[in-house]
Amino acid sequence: MEVFVAQALNALFGIASLAIVALGLAVVLGLLGVLNLAHGELVMIGAYCAWVAQANGWPYLAAVPLAIGVCGVLGYAVERWLVRPLYQRPFDTLVVTWGLSLLLRKCAEAIFGLGYKSLHEPIGGTVDVLGATYPRYRLVLIAVSVAVLGGLVLWYARSRTGTRIKAMVGNPDLARALGIPVARYASSTFVVGTCLAGLGGVLIAPLVPVQPFMGLDHILMSFFVLVVGGLGSVGGLLTGSTLIGGANSVVSALSDSTGGYFSVLALAILFLWLKPRGIHAR
Amino acid sequence: MPADRPERGVPVVVRAGLAIAALLLLPFAVGEFWAYQLGLLYLYAIAALGLGLCWGRAGFLPLGQGLFFGLAAYLSGLALIAFEQSWWLLVLIPLAACASGLLAFLIGTLVFRRRGESGPYFSMITLALSLLAYQVANNWESVTGGFNGLKGIPGLPGLDSYTAAYYVAAVALIVSTLATGWLYRAPLGVLWAALAHNERRAAMFGFDTNRLKAVAFGASGLLAGIGGALYAPQQGLVTPQLCGFALSTDLVIWAAVGGRGRLLGPVLGAIVIGSLTSGLRDRFRFWEIGIAIVFILVVLLFPQGLVGVFAPLERWWDRGARRAPPVAAPERSAIAGDARLEIEAIAVKLGEVRILDGLTLRFERSGIYCVIGPNGAGKTSTFNMLTGELPVQSGRVVFDGMTIDRLQTHRIVRLGIGRKFQIPSVFAPLAIADNIAVALWSGRARWLELLRPRLRRWSSPVLDELQARYPFLADAGRGASQLSHGERQILELAMALLGEPRLLLLDEPCAGLSPQETAAAIDVIHWASERRGATIVVIEHDMSLVRKLADHVFVLHNGSLIAEGSVAQVQANAAVQAVYVGAEK
Repeated sequence: MEVFVAQALNALFGIASLAIVALGLAVVLGLLGVLNLAHGELVMIGAYCAWVAQANGWPYLAAVPLAIGVCGVLGYAVERWLVRPLYQRPFDTLVVTWGLSLLLRKCAEAIFGLGYKSLHEPIGGTVDVLGATYPRYRLVLIAVSVAVLGGLVLWYARSRTGTRIKAMVGNPDLARALGIPVARYASSTFVVGTCLAGLGGVLIAPLVPVQPFMGLDHILMSFFVLVVGGLGSVGGLLTGSTLIGGANSVVSALSDSTGGYFSVLALAILFLWLKPRGIHAR
Repeated sequence: MPADRPERGVPVVVRAGLAIAALLLLPFAVGEFWAYQLGLLYLYAIAALGLGLCWGRAGFLPLGQGLFFGLAAYLSGLALIAFEQSWWLLVLIPLAACASGLLAFLIGTLVFRRRGESGPYFSMITLALSLLAYQVANNWESVTGGFNGLKGIPGLPGLDSYTAAYYVAAVALIVSTLATGWLYRAPLGVLWAALAHNERRAAMFGFDTNRLKAVAFGASGLLAGIGGALYAPQQGLVTPQLCGFALSTDLVIWAAVGGRGRLLGPVLGAIVIGSLTSGLRDRFRFWEIGIAIVFILVVLLFPQGLVGVFAPLERWWDRGARRAPPVAAPERSAIAGDARLEIEAIAVKLGEVRILDGLTLRFERSGIYCVIGPNGAGKTSTFNMLTGELPVQSGRVVFDGMTIDRLQTHRIVRLGIGRKFQIPSVFAPLAIADNIAVALWSGRARWLELLRPRLRRWSSPVLDELQARYPFLADAGRGASQLSHGERQILELAMALLGEPRLLLLDEPCAGLSPQETAAAIDVIHWASERRGATIVVIEHDMSLVRKLADHVFVLHNGSLIAEGSVAQVQANAAVQAVYVGAEK
């Protein structure tokens, strides 16, 4: 029983941590059709914000507004000056955001150095869950991920702004003709995406080594989650996280991390052939 | 594209000669240290050349070219250690480069299996592959030497000075550049540029675009492999970093800043940015941040890159260029008799929407058939289904005795089906002559022939006839992007005719044409039907055109056939009148 509960919690944690990191990418790609290759670097910036907070002895929660502030400002500037001129050239947005990822990585290198930073868990200790002892911080991460995902979904489904964004996604020209400020909504959507990336970074920071190159892994994993799950629904995000996270951890356990990585890649290519729009196609 | 006009006479030889002489004399001017640095950059430049081929030509961006450079470097390094100073190396080192090319071709074949939005997927998968290669190289210590890499790799037999290493790299760069330039001038290069602009249109001329892209990626893998295979003996050390992210990134930056769209852009980028970096990186702390900013600015504002600066000079060089005379294209192997097409009880559903619902149409004799029906009746969908772009749920399509409803677009087209889209789709970046050439190769050119630049001068009796009717088609060097809407319609119609299809599908061919142009287009369609014996199916809304064209009319409504017959018959039909109430003149 304890083993089973611990495994179930581990799986849940794996899915939650993948989903919360992929969420921002899913918002931007799903709603704006922009593949933001700098997404991983925004996660990295979130993680460095957490490190700054901890290194200065601030409460860990202070990292949340810090990361959201930094990533929000960055997201606004990027959308305004890099992405907006290129909405008609989707392939070039990929190239430009790829250049941006390079820039952010080099900036992080210049500011924080190449070395690894490690953070201690802000909420230490373990909890007994049905007989199994489990790290408390991981439970918090699961809870926060569920809350953020649920809140976003509810807001998108119920609010007026959510409906207008749907109109913008469905037909930007018609939405503009109806008086919806499409440019402003696109900008806010992008900013929400980058803020979510920053938040994801803050959440996972205590659990991973924080270093300038960490974004690469996160963008790839997030992208493959979306390839497998499909865009445009929370169900897709969770299915994708489950499959990618599951394949990675099972194969890694059986062979090594290279094997796990390879299985993720194989899975993504397989989906590209069989279900190019993912499991939950819009 | 001024970079690849088919025949350019003497200047190109002079120019290439000057550049080659400069490369060979350079070591005497710059000294041994810089000769050594440049030798390394030349190898990177070869890989950048391949990246330019994929990105600037074929329109997809590999983000992990380091994989192929690194793989060849490891293979060549292992061979050099195992067969030190043996003549076997003359075979093994080229094989190391070929292994990279083969791997790239296989990966391209795997990833490009499906058509459509594979661009970003491809970039991400290649990026992931290079990171995977880095991990493998890092962990597989017994073979690769792990993190510290393969050490003590001997040089090439008999060449042990820095200057000799420089010459090996320079010759490899010259040969690779000339070979890539050849590919750019050959039909293959034209097809890459065509599919980068409009892959659907290229497939509709019967070209296996997935295979063409895989070949482009294979070529780029081979070029990266040449660089890598020579890197091992030149540097004597191969580390996992070579496979990973850093080199892959640099190659993309060099290609972009140098100018990805032109042959020499990536080479120039690698040499200029590479030398500046090795000279200045240690002096300026923020050098790499600056490079990243320059890269972003180039992508946003100067997609032409550094070579764009030399474009006026190039025009000056080219001013006297003359076109060589045309050569006759081989005859299309013709099947005797009229084309027969049977569409039987076809059902197509997209999601919950029934697009075609038990549609049955028969075309047994040549002639002009018009398909009419209100918006949403399934007319264009019928064409999409016929050309293999809409999956069929039930029913079958038989063309000349062959069931075609499960075939891929390019295979269907090769059976002798041509199509003109509703929105005129010509290859805007190409010259008129190249647009026409692509259409002429359709169904005629074999794979190996795509390497012969003289195919760009192909001509055919149909082309002569069309050029007599529409003189602008003979204005070979003019870019298709400069044509008016009407001229584009005519050009695409001409391109569809040049493939000499047995069955020609025309989707509103006269939309947006002036009355004179419309009359001329109707004349050409009649000519194609009567003189060439083609079966022509026209989707048309304008009843006055239908009256002038149609031998037989099909009326579609809600995805199925509701009436057929002569124009008068369908107009008298009660069911048709019910559908068209108020809509008919």
